[in-house]
Amino acid sequence: MERRSIFKAIAAMALATTVAFAAGPSIAQDNEKFTIALIPGLTTDAFYITMRKGAQAAADALGVELVFQGGPEFNPTVQVPVLDAVIARQPDAILIAPTDTTQLIEPLRRAHDAGIPIITVDTFIGTGQYQTGSGDADFPLSYIASDNILGGRMAARALADAIGGEGKVYVSNVNPGISTTDQREEGFKLEMSENFPEIEVLETQFNENDANNAASQLQAVFARNGDLKGVFGANLFSALGAANGVQQAGQTGTIKVVAFDAPTSIIDNIDSGLVDVAIAQHPAEIGYFGVVSAYAHLTEQSIPTLIGTGFTVIDKSNVTDPEVAKYIYSD
Amino acid sequence: MTTTEIPPQPAQEHVAPQADHADMAQSWVQRIASLRAWLFLAALVIGFEAWARIAFNGTFILNPFNLQSIAIFAVAPLLLATGQTFVIISGGIDLSVGFIMGLAAVVAAHVINAAGALMPLPMAVLLGALVAVLVAGIPGLVNGLLISRLRVPPFIGTLGMFGVARGVAFLLAGGTVVPVSNNPFFSALGNGRIFNVPHIVIITAVFVLLMHYLLSQTRFGQHNYAIGANPQAARRAGINIKGHLTRLYVLSGLCAGLAGVLYSARFNAGAAQAGEPLLLDSVAAVVIGGASLFGGSGTILGTVAGAFVIAVIQYGLVFVNVEPFWQFISVGVVIIISVLIDQAQRRFSGGRVDE
Repeated sequence: MERRSIFKAIAAMALATTVAFAAGPSIAQDNEKFTIALIPGLTTDAFYITMRKGAQAAADALGVELVFQGGPEFNPTVQVPVLDAVIARQPDAILIAPTDTTQLIEPLRRAHDAGIPIITVDTFIGTGQYQTGSGDADFPLSYIASDNILGGRMAARALADAIGGEGKVYVSNVNPGISTTDQREEGFKLEMSENFPEIEVLETQFNENDANNAASQLQAVFARNGDLKGVFGANLFSALGAANGVQQAGQTGTIKVVAFDAPTSIIDNIDSGLVDVAIAQHPAEIGYFGVVSAYAHLTEQSIPTLIGTGFTVIDKSNVTDPEVAKYIYSD
Repeated sequence: MTTTEIPPQPAQEHVAPQADHADMAQSWVQRIASLRAWLFLAALVIGFEAWARIAFNGTFILNPFNLQSIAIFAVAPLLLATGQTFVIISGGIDLSVGFIMGLAAVVAAHVINAAGALMPLPMAVLLGALVAVLVAGIPGLVNGLLISRLRVPPFIGTLGMFGVARGVAFLLAGGTVVPVSNNPFFSALGNGRIFNVPHIVIITAVFVLLMHYLLSQTRFGQHNYAIGANPQAARRAGINIKGHLTRLYVLSGLCAGLAGVLYSARFNAGAAQAGEPLLLDSVAAVVIGGASLFGGSGTILGTVAGAFVIAVIQYGLVFVNVEPFWQFISVGVVIIISVLIDQAQRRFSGGRVDE
């Protein structure tokens, strides 16, 4: 793993340099226009790409310049140099999806000390409760995100419905220590234990965001538990992998798959029957309200410290409905 | 299954009588060393089988479903490790294989989607697979030229290509996953079976056997060992080292390309990060399989065993329901033991032991 972290550091340094250079010329140009920076958890994910679209829509509507810069991996080592480069550019506000609840506190405090207002989107620092006067990590103005515990509960209900309220299920998850996916798993397990006593939740399998690994884990869990009824894929690759594992095991339709997030690849799998239900977050909404909130603050309005965005449950019955289809993450 | 050690061991017919003991120990160590991956594999399988029988009265290896699942799991790491075996034997390393695989997966998805509108669907699949594998050869060619003509160290050259292939793959994919819609032939390639053996396993087995032949039975393979064991001697012997190294990295790129095509066939989607976690697995499989990172030794069959050691550990620990983090520890321990055996073998055979 050591070698890999060297790569990350090098990649991050290279990226930070690019950002810093790119930043040079454009600073002086328009002083009138607010510049708001959006730093995603990673740049290569349909969720954040859709968030950027919502943010851009709000920026266009308000006449704000939006800067989108981030690292290729969901990792503080990669994200912090990008953040530093963005701070050096002195934007009017920063919207950021922090990649760690603890490790991003001090780097973000530097931005705060430089007088740049901060709003966290999707993920949070500290406890996620801001402006409480506690003085530790409460300096961001607002936290705008889906309630991932609620999302996990919705996934649990959808899966319980699909399997008739009894049987064995498990959670296919990325890695422990990521606030959003941890909360989805927590919500899923809470809902199952409180409201579905006939459902047994087996041990969680962590796949390191590798679909091949997630597929193999599903097959191993099924080999051990022939009566497995369902699986909850807590993010894209967990769900894609679990769905393929079900297919390889010849259990499509028998073992139900609930996916968190709704990029087009998951929607394709709903069409073909490999995935039964997708819980779509509303990333564009998060981006939109992020920019609007920052703008409100910059124009001396007060803003709420917490904004919760919703979910949409997508399955075969409603996937073609335009009112639902608009929540599919676009490429 | 016979593994053939290609670089001939120093002739030992004229050993003095008092060296008998050391000689026996030496050949014993070497035999163990050359078979260590298969011994690991056997030990693991027996261990898991015993565990399954004692703990829950089940069976691990006699369950065809488990064999199938493990074989599918091993496909991508094994294909990357096959190319990596050639490179490591030559004394190099290829860090770019993971993202070349992702690049090929994305290219395959795009080409098959685009070609599907213009030609019969099976033709589109064939074209997409071909284009993707050829495109994967391009970063391989650049790697090869950098390393052979411009004398860039393999670690640095392929590290550069790691970044370039990654960026290009994500750009082509638009930063997300490219689904392949409405092509049942592609899905059948990735998920279908013949006589209960998955297509992708058959394709991989045939390909790996061809690569085994290439390494163990052809001049290309002989040159590869010669260059890895002693580049200067190889040059004096008249081997075209530049040409060989170039072809070598192209070959590694093509292996990664095939892995990418099979990935997107299986998941009906091309993802730039498809091979990201597999780079270290590919190197680990080669090392567990008995190759030395100093070059000059290693076999494809050893690598096959190495890849299966990793796959069996990861699958088996889930099957017997062990806390997941033990997977990292187990694979790590196997790598360390494997390298220790390699070092012991060098000490016994009087080869260079790098301090």
